[in-house]
Amino acid sequence: MTTESLGVGHVVKSESPTIPPTNHTSSQVVASTIPDERAMGERILDVRDFSVDYGWGESAVRAVDGVDVHLDRSMVLGIAGESGSGKSTLVYAITRLLRAPGVITSGEARFNLGSNEDGEHVIDLVTASERELRSLRWSSISVVLQSALSALNPVVRVGAQFEQVLRAHRRDMSKVERRARAAELLGLVDLDEDRLDRYPHELSGGQRQRIMIALALALDPQLVIMDEPTTALDVVTQREIISELFELRSRFGFAMIFITHDLSLLTELADEIVVMYAGALVERATARELYEAPRHPYTLGLLDSFPPMHGERTELTGIPGSPPDLAHLPTGCSFHPRCPFAMARCAIETPPLIEIEGSGRSVACWLQVVDAGAAVPVELSRVSASNASPSERVTEVSS
Amino acid sequence: MTDEMTTSVQLAARNLTRHFSVRTPGRLFNAKRVVRAVDDISLDLVTGEVVAVVGESGSGKSVLARMLARIVTPTSGDLVLQGTPIAIKSKRTLDYASQVQLVLQDPFASMNPVHRMSHNLLRPLLIHGASKSDAPAMAEAALRRVSLEPPSRFLESYPHELSGGQLQRVSIARALCIQPKVLLADEPISMLDVSVRLGVLNLLRGLCDNERLAILYITHDIASARYIADSMIVMYAGQVVEQSRGTSLVDEPTHPYTQLLIASVPDPSDPTRDTPPTGERAQATIAEKGCRFSPRCPHVMDRCREEEPPAFIVGEDHSSKCWLYADHETAVEVALPTRRKEGETATT
Repeated sequence: MTTESLGVGHVVKSESPTIPPTNHTSSQVVASTIPDERAMGERILDVRDFSVDYGWGESAVRAVDGVDVHLDRSMVLGIAGESGSGKSTLVYAITRLLRAPGVITSGEARFNLGSNEDGEHVIDLVTASERELRSLRWSSISVVLQSALSALNPVVRVGAQFEQVLRAHRRDMSKVERRARAAELLGLVDLDEDRLDRYPHELSGGQRQRIMIALALALDPQLVIMDEPTTALDVVTQREIISELFELRSRFGFAMIFITHDLSLLTELADEIVVMYAGALVERATARELYEAPRHPYTLGLLDSFPPMHGERTELTGIPGSPPDLAHLPTGCSFHPRCPFAMARCAIETPPLIEIEGSGRSVACWLQVVDAGAAVPVELSRVSASNASPSERVTEVSS
Repeated sequence: MTDEMTTSVQLAARNLTRHFSVRTPGRLFNAKRVVRAVDDISLDLVTGEVVAVVGESGSGKSVLARMLARIVTPTSGDLVLQGTPIAIKSKRTLDYASQVQLVLQDPFASMNPVHRMSHNLLRPLLIHGASKSDAPAMAEAALRRVSLEPPSRFLESYPHELSGGQLQRVSIARALCIQPKVLLADEPISMLDVSVRLGVLNLLRGLCDNERLAILYITHDIASARYIADSMIVMYAGQVVEQSRGTSLVDEPTHPYTQLLIASVPDPSDPTRDTPPTGERAQATIAEKGCRFSPRCPHVMDRCREEEPPAFIVGEDHSSKCWLYADHETAVEVALPTRRKEGETATT
């Protein structure tokens, strides 16, 4: 998708054949082997060994610890985790929106702007200059924040907020064109043009969140980051916004990072899901596999924390205890004090994120390491119906 | 008061209504408009049962809870506490507060941040007549009831030192320490982390089963309501649109709004499911005349725009306020699917 497809007055009705339709059960996200280490191909974002601290020196608290995530074009990556798990910190750091005392202490975040005749144009967001970032933000990467009321300027009419964005990034547009473009964007999210003359407080929560989405799409970004976009909304409004979002994605083909604590929502809409706990990735899998066959006890506990809508009512236990304080993390695996399957080893050594061979999914748990000698509990060895691989075997890849 | 009373309806509400008048700037002479926040709601809170009220924001469910706690004065309607009619227009008495307690949504906002938990817990005890020497022991007992061990540690801590789940337990303990009979829980888990929500739900269910509290559980999360409720009520725009004993309302929803609500809940166990039609997009206009859901309803008929439907009986202890069931019997005025003992004040 290029800029002109979203240009003024050219509302694109046809779908580009290059954009694959939304397919929640697809296995397209299984990591492809990259022949050249530096070439990214279809990969739009590649984050390696990424760590973020809050504060310096002795008092530093590690909020994100050595995280690897990657995302292909037009794909949806879901990041699940509770408050304090580092999911928002991770994406704010990647987009360099993180403010002091947040510091990126290691890692790279390579963003692929696409290729031309000179080859690929790849930027490491961690080392990019302020000037480079300014040209990237909003036009290539845009962010939709959780609280639309505090993200929109309360004393400026909605139309003027569109105007500001377009004036800053699209210098060649006339005032009339900007207004037309703003109206077109509102049309994308099913809002009337007259909303442009309203102030944010005159709109409902769902309408405000729609405006945030329209604003995020104003410059046709390649990557849209959604930080809990529907958490403050009712389920019905959430359902409407999600379905609109996916309609827009199949039309314009942007990739999406979707952050939420609602794992059941993510399993419906993401292609691949990473689960974070206490700043680290504990599991990565395709959405279906994660739901049908979780491999980490925390993922299992999270999935069991949502009361079902069908069947007999049985007492669910959820996860005992509370999320850890990042300043005083438990030794070994951060999850072991709450883990029903914890072993002696879990309190001593931190399990690495290892790949389960042949499945493209990874998990950080000693139970899944063959040489650890522990039997895998039956709850954590279910086989996913949609992607059963009979010879699933675990080998340690890297730490 | 007889023994029979203590095992039956603790708090009964009849035809509770609250209207707010608002001025719309810009209209001619700032014309007054009435918002019918809660309209003609009757319910019984019974010993040892959880009544769940489900509704989206703006449906009036919190106003309902505040009326039951007598923080908001109803425009009309009656409240009967343990068989005694309450003068609803008068000020809330200390005795009423000692029987009916409210737990709010945000535990961080409902605790005084500059005082230790001991202050937050001892104050209600002293106000409600505990002696200074007994109060600390009662506060510790209340913390044990909500599984906060050891209580002494929690009494010494400040709100910012506790997690959301722990704080919400303390606010439940604070409501329980004066031994109320009725607990009104207004969205008690919506601000909590997913992994600790079930703990609080199980705690509420346990208090209900073991200590015979009457609980009103208000939520927008229909799955959690299904998990703990003995009877369920769905509210839309200030009215009860569907109610049932048990979970039949979720298992066999009859009202189009309930159907929409249930279809909107993410359900990963069914990946092939289509997105439901959500009715008129988001504008969520509430009809002034006829059925309030009619502008969004996929099954809307002419009659719906003209006449407001009564509650029709659609199953055992299950009623639905929708013209689709016009061939069913209408529910009697006090159509509450809760157990009622003989000789009790049902209506006033």
